[in-house]
Amino acid sequence: MNELIEALRLVLAPDVLIAILLSSIYGLVIGSLPGLSATMATALLVPVTFYLSPIAAVASIIAASAMAIFSGDIPGCLLRIPGTPASAAYTDEAYALTRKGQAEIALGAGLWFSALGGIAGTISLVVMAPALAELALNFSTFEYFWLAFLGLMCATLVARSSPVKAIASMLLGLFIACIGMENPGGVPRFTFGITELLGGIEPIPVLVGVFAVSEVIRAMVSPEPPPLPHRRFGSILAGQLHLTRKYWRQMTRGNLVGIIIGVLPGAGADMAAWVSYAMSKRFSKEPKKFGTGHPEGLVEAGASNNASLASGWVPSLLFGIPGDTITAIAIGVLYMKGLNPGPTLFTERASSMYALYIIFILANILMIPLGIVMIRVASSVLRAPRATVMPVILVCCAVGAFATGNNLFAVVLVATFGVVGYVMERNGYPVAAMVLGIVMGTMVEQSFVTSLIKSDGSLLPFFERPVSAVLAAMTIAALLWPVFIWSWKRIRPRHQEQAL
Amino acid sequence: MHLSDRITGSFVATLGVLAAYGGSRLPPVPGQDIGPSAFPILIGVGLILCGLLIAAGIGHSFEEEAEADLAVVEGPPEYASTKAPLTYRLRALLPPGLLLFYVVAVDRLGFVPTAAIMIFIASVAFGAKLRVALPLAALASVAIHLIFYKLLRVPLPAGLLPMPW
Amino acid sequence: MTSFTRRGFIASASTVLASSVVGLKPSFSQSNYPNRPITLICPWGAGGGTDATARIIGQVMEQKLGQPVNVVNRTGGNGVVGHAAIASAAPDGYTIGLLTVEIAMMHWQGMTDLTPRSYTPLTLMNVDAPAIQVKADSPYKTIKELADAIKAAPPGKLKASGTGQGGIWHLALVGWLQSLGLQSNHVAWVPSNGAAPGMQDLVAGGVDIVPCSLPEARPMIDAGRAKSLAILAPERNPQFPNVPTLDEQMGPHKSVGVWRGIAGPKGLPADIQDKLVAVLKEVYASKEYKEFMSGRGFGVKWAERAEFGQFMDESDRQMGEAMKAAGLAKA
Repeated sequence: MNELIEALRLVLAPDVLIAILLSSIYGLVIGSLPGLSATMATALLVPVTFYLSPIAAVASIIAASAMAIFSGDIPGCLLRIPGTPASAAYTDEAYALTRKGQAEIALGAGLWFSALGGIAGTISLVVMAPALAELALNFSTFEYFWLAFLGLMCATLVARSSPVKAIASMLLGLFIACIGMENPGGVPRFTFGITELLGGIEPIPVLVGVFAVSEVIRAMVSPEPPPLPHRRFGSILAGQLHLTRKYWRQMTRGNLVGIIIGVLPGAGADMAAWVSYAMSKRFSKEPKKFGTGHPEGLVEAGASNNASLASGWVPSLLFGIPGDTITAIAIGVLYMKGLNPGPTLFTERASSMYALYIIFILANILMIPLGIVMIRVASSVLRAPRATVMPVILVCCAVGAFATGNNLFAVVLVATFGVVGYVMERNGYPVAAMVLGIVMGTMVEQSFVTSLIKSDGSLLPFFERPVSAVLAAMTIAALLWPVFIWSWKRIRPRHQEQAL
Repeated sequence: MHLSDRITGSFVATLGVLAAYGGSRLPPVPGQDIGPSAFPILIGVGLILCGLLIAAGIGHSFEEEAEADLAVVEGPPEYASTKAPLTYRLRALLPPGLLLFYVVAVDRLGFVPTAAIMIFIASVAFGAKLRVALPLAALASVAIHLIFYKLLRVPLPAGLLPMPW
Repeated sequence: MTSFTRRGFIASASTVLASSVVGLKPSFSQSNYPNRPITLICPWGAGGGTDATARIIGQVMEQKLGQPVNVVNRTGGNGVVGHAAIASAAPDGYTIGLLTVEIAMMHWQGMTDLTPRSYTPLTLMNVDAPAIQVKADSPYKTIKELADAIKAAPPGKLKASGTGQGGIWHLALVGWLQSLGLQSNHVAWVPSNGAAPGMQDLVAGGVDIVPCSLPEARPMIDAGRAKSLAILAPERNPQFPNVPTLDEQMGPHKSVGVWRGIAGPKGLPADIQDKLVAVLKEVYASKEYKEFMSGRGFGVKWAERAEFGQFMDESDRQMGEAMKAAGLAKA
């Protein structure tokens, strides 16, 4: 109890509170700019943390990253430009709501369920950190292989398109992930002698290209759409209480999936959002509404996304294993400030740990008022004429991609993938599936090859280990699902299905 | 650029052949049974299969259904009709072209002039009047420079027109 | 140096723009260097250990020089792009960079033509030696027992991890195996995305050995999940006094390790070198730098100019040998 009071004293210090407020605003602004990611927002904070007290330094990282992940949904929803690979899973859904004139429902859901998810993730961190860490430690490459495979399969579930084309897009993404020498053999593949390709193709320039640039191209060749029905931008939160009551099951499921996936190092928020969105569609009573502006999937994916962000800190704090790129940066800051990760952090520095928990909760609560202001400001972009918004987006795409590594080659990639994305979209190939392939590709290959080295070439351990066997069964079921649906539709007469 | 499934399917299959061929020529790695060639070959085979299925029109019914569902909610898709004149459809190349212009020009001209030219051209192409496009180009390029250079410390080249900050 | 006063005057009184209009390059070999911000290129992404090191060096340099020192991450091409950007910068002292051990490895794999000789070496700032980690409940109590077990096991039975194929810790293991008179693949290498996932796999029972630096292994050691049998360095690490050296246990062995140092493009004028080395010496001695490095557990080591050049040549030679032995170097 003394430790809790001590922790409250630590957090309520003026410098900590100011750090939380300023870095929250900073995270919101960076995350909402098209082409800039939460990881960049965190990385750019590191030099500032040199000047802060240990608690204030960690607080600023926590606050900025949570805000940036949420506000990455804003350009995705308003302009169909997702800020992170995680929000790519549900960008089309949110954008469809915007075109129906319900941007505030989409963004409000993102905000509300992100905040609740973040708090649920924090509670899991408080209550179950050691147990969750144990789970993470027992995940070896065999389990990771199935997990990555399962993640890939979500592509076919999520896509509103022919499953064959969804798989083709995903395979295209896997092929792009092969480029470079970040493979288990360390051999340069498909680089054609281009130095820049040795490190592979990063997801961010691809994301910016296939979503943002292809959107600009599409606008270029289509007449100006009629102005959106001008509605008073209603209360952002009012609709959310209704959604929470209606979809509390989906929210809880999203939180749980997010916590479990987030705790596994390397899986993180990207996969959590995809898996949850796919699950939501799969188990929904109205799967046909998905992709047409239906909030159900947004609720579950948003709940999962931010829950995974908080639980991703478990392996980082206990073992110094980063859950994702953001916690990798955070670990550096923890070391610098003498809060070395390890179990002793939980016992000897318990007050500091409690302080971290309080900061997590505080940041997620603060997210709601700040997020509402941000949504109102950002929504004005919907009323601006296309001829002023699109050119600025194009320049932001160029600068944002350049800023990821200060390398102009990223801008070339953005232009290339803009064209690729436009052509794919026009012909019914879902681009989000390709992004998923790029994000998961390395993990699938790495876990498969290293597993075989460890098992001396035997495939048995993939099915033998208990967790691995469960994941394998789930994967095979997901794999057979589209085939099953297809044959089911063939057998059943079409008019009967429409009557349902 | 709407193409028939036959064409896109064959393209996917061709890409698969190239991936598998390119993968098969990679050297083995000492100490690894599954070398770097296995995955590209596997992906290549998958792409070939998918490409053939797409070319054969399998799974197309899903697309029509999904589009019909979407049309109920949103009305018909807003793509330019394929009958639009070629010059109009070629405008699709303008955004990637402007990005490549950025790559070539930014180190020579500097960020602000390059961005201003990009914004001006794109804005005019979208049908903006000169009295909108010109101030937009001037103000937005400077504002973006301020945010990225000053706040985020992205090293944007100064070029011909260094900013006072 | 007849035009000393005039050129000095122009350089100090004019902006970059004005001087290029006058037709004079801003003069640099003057006592008033630096008179504009310096760029410090980091070839690796924001957030990693190298980035953090570059940022602390840049920050202290800024205090000492009174000019901004901007750390710029130039990523891509697995480090090639950033290293190339340092080598091809104008040798005016306004663009310098942080070299990492990869510069001594990449050219052996045919990834680039750049070698440590493509730069003006300024100062070595950090060196970390590999250490050999095993699971905490592993039957091997000393490095000698582990070595005997490796020798007794059939080739490929024991597995090790910690970097990608051909990464620095893979080469460290290869070097050690060779010194034991074994084949380079006697212990199978399981490629991983860095030391942290390797340590995780060690604890999960996936691999038997992880060679990596002590700061990388520290969280798992502190958590009581892993133990370090020996450090492959001539002396013990003051941060980890309980870890014996390999030399103490099994006789002398020269191992590869990671290092980071500051260098400029080739042809940096001598007076600018003087100024930079003097400032970097102050950085190295500063409280901030020392605290940062010990906080992260990074080892500090100093060498300047030619001495640093020799250090890199030696590292380059060792890497070449290890990579040829592992079949990783291009013929």
